[in-house]
Amino acid sequence: MSALTILSVGLRRIMRDRTALFFMIVLPIAVILIIGATVRGFSTFRVGVVNEGAGPSGTQLVSAMQRAPDLDVRMYPTATAAATAVARSEISTAVILPANMDSDLRDGKTVAVAVMAEPANSTQQAAAQEVESVVTDVGGRVQAALFTRIHVTGSYQQNLVRATEIQPKVAQVDVQQARVDSHSNTLPEGFSYSAPTMLVLFVFLNALAGGATIIETRRLGMYERMATTPIHTRTIIAGEALTYFCVALVQAVLIVLVAALIFGVSWGSPLAAIALVLAWAMVGGAAGMLSGSLFRTPEQASSIGPAIGIALAMLGGCMWPLSIVSQTMRDIGHATPQAWAVDAWTDLLSRGGTIVSILPQLAVLVTFAVGFLAIATSRMRRLLR
Amino acid sequence: MAHEPAAARSDPLLRCNSLVKWFGDRVAVDDVSFGLARGEIYGLLGPNGAGKTTTIKMVCGLLQPDSGSIMLDGRSTKEDLAARSLVGYVPQDVALYPDLTASENLSFLGRLYRLSGGLLEERIKEALELTDLTERRHDRVDSYSGGMKRRLNIAAGLLHHPKLLVLDEPTVGVDPQSRHAILERVRSFGIGGVSVLYTTHYMEEAERVCDRVGIIDHGRLIAEGTRRELVAHLGERDRIDLAATGDLQRVAAECRAIQGVVEAAVADDSVHLIADDGRHVLPAVLEAANRTGASVNSVEVKEADLEAVFLHLTGTALRE
Repeated sequence: MSALTILSVGLRRIMRDRTALFFMIVLPIAVILIIGATVRGFSTFRVGVVNEGAGPSGTQLVSAMQRAPDLDVRMYPTATAAATAVARSEISTAVILPANMDSDLRDGKTVAVAVMAEPANSTQQAAAQEVESVVTDVGGRVQAALFTRIHVTGSYQQNLVRATEIQPKVAQVDVQQARVDSHSNTLPEGFSYSAPTMLVLFVFLNALAGGATIIETRRLGMYERMATTPIHTRTIIAGEALTYFCVALVQAVLIVLVAALIFGVSWGSPLAAIALVLAWAMVGGAAGMLSGSLFRTPEQASSIGPAIGIALAMLGGCMWPLSIVSQTMRDIGHATPQAWAVDAWTDLLSRGGTIVSILPQLAVLVTFAVGFLAIATSRMRRLLR
Repeated sequence: MAHEPAAARSDPLLRCNSLVKWFGDRVAVDDVSFGLARGEIYGLLGPNGAGKTTTIKMVCGLLQPDSGSIMLDGRSTKEDLAARSLVGYVPQDVALYPDLTASENLSFLGRLYRLSGGLLEERIKEALELTDLTERRHDRVDSYSGGMKRRLNIAAGLLHHPKLLVLDEPTVGVDPQSRHAILERVRSFGIGGVSVLYTTHYMEEAERVCDRVGIIDHGRLIAEGTRRELVAHLGERDRIDLAATGDLQRVAAECRAIQGVVEAAVADDSVHLIADDGRHVLPAVLEAANRTGASVNSVEVKEADLEAVFLHLTGTALRE
């Protein structure tokens, strides 16, 4: 009961602290927005185009590529310049539109559109495939125009215009991509990438910085005063732990809701997501208690705390996927609770994971929380005595 | 001011027996024993670092004595957690949440004392009235003046109607007007039947407020009694305060050699003396000061008081 009294006063004080609220709510959401918007570019390919005099058909192909959402088209004057750009990785692939492309097509000749890409380079291959699909699309129209000219009526040019008009009206076969039995080691792109990683980063970081409150309360002599009332030291510690857990939980839930409702993030299995949010709030709450019991001054907690939070977030895969770092760094990363949390989110968001599949991660996170809390409790018992 | 009936002594509210507390290899409280009757105001008087705060922290259950025992209304505070409700502790430094209002602070502490609902509201109202803070009850504590914070600090110790109010230097850093108000309140608590354990290093406060005074120095309780009893130690002796500039230690040394001077000590730009007949030795004292080349700013002969008692018992003046 007294622990709840301590909890309610703790929450009331945080609600009055505008700076704390800014760091707790506004900053994480702003960072999710920024990172979510910038990390969209993973599947956009830069394509170099060399127009050697392809005529209207060439222009049509270029504008089709420009309209394609996954292609970023840049023009190059010569094939050599484009090849150099590919070699320098400035562009993923290059397309050469040959001279006389338009007249050859008109005459029904086969036109070869060269696409440069190294067979061994998977990114370049993927880019080439994207280009090919646009070429195929335009090619379909060309063929339709030729077909009608030969078998029906009208000039090639008239029929091409007609085919272009008709194409969107024809029943389309909608192709949707879905991850089936995926083994992706990274989170999806966009907000689905930034929201879970920033949730992991900010809940922990905010808790470490929030350790300052415990130090301030100690300095104010409030713990001493509380200790003269008929309550146990363990009740005081329980009340504080509850406060830190609730703050971390509220922050995590707010991030989940904002990301889901505003940024359209799908958090996967609801049961698993709830369990993971609770486990992470426990880790965060316990880390806050640890910060409050280990640092000596509020300034230390609010300046060194975030630095530690960011370092652990880097190691733990909140800033970039651990799948791109060396095995050694991946192993070191898994000494942080962040890595286990990001792993669990990756399972939920990218592989359709369930509460059963993330049980190992949940167990590790709870172990971290219990460990942090045990150290914090023994430290605080000594400090409150 | 001793209004202590003999019966109260035989049934004290607080009884401390042979308290000892060590911090590392330094003894902070060394075999201190004292008792408080119901409704009595007891002052622990001594310089900073004498062991006053350590003693009262043991009384409040914040520190455990290394040896000795504390009985409060016949209960041991060590084993009986509920016995803490008998004590209202007012720490030396204001211990309140600055970002909460007076009402919120009192409500929080009241709940920890298991008060709730209408009773809690009533007690908050009463404590605020007692400390003249009713009008500012909805203001945040960080908007209060120093004196108001001190008063609220005391109010927080009164909420649960303790039988013993423990005040640790409640007037340090307080302006004279607030100080007067605080001392008046303390007196009224005593009259209201609440026992008060009061620490101070201001002699005049102890003289004004306390029924009995325990003089503590270097962790030991060196004398105890009413003001009258303590002053009687000195017999007919007087106190001479000589304010001067120059080598005051030499002045004190010269004065000790004068016949009739019992003690001499230096504190706060003054030489404090105890003499058998103050007026009689005064010329010799002035002459001694002249000999050392010190220039005398003022000299005062007073009847013996607690300051003189302290000087007499410890050989030192009370240090600020």
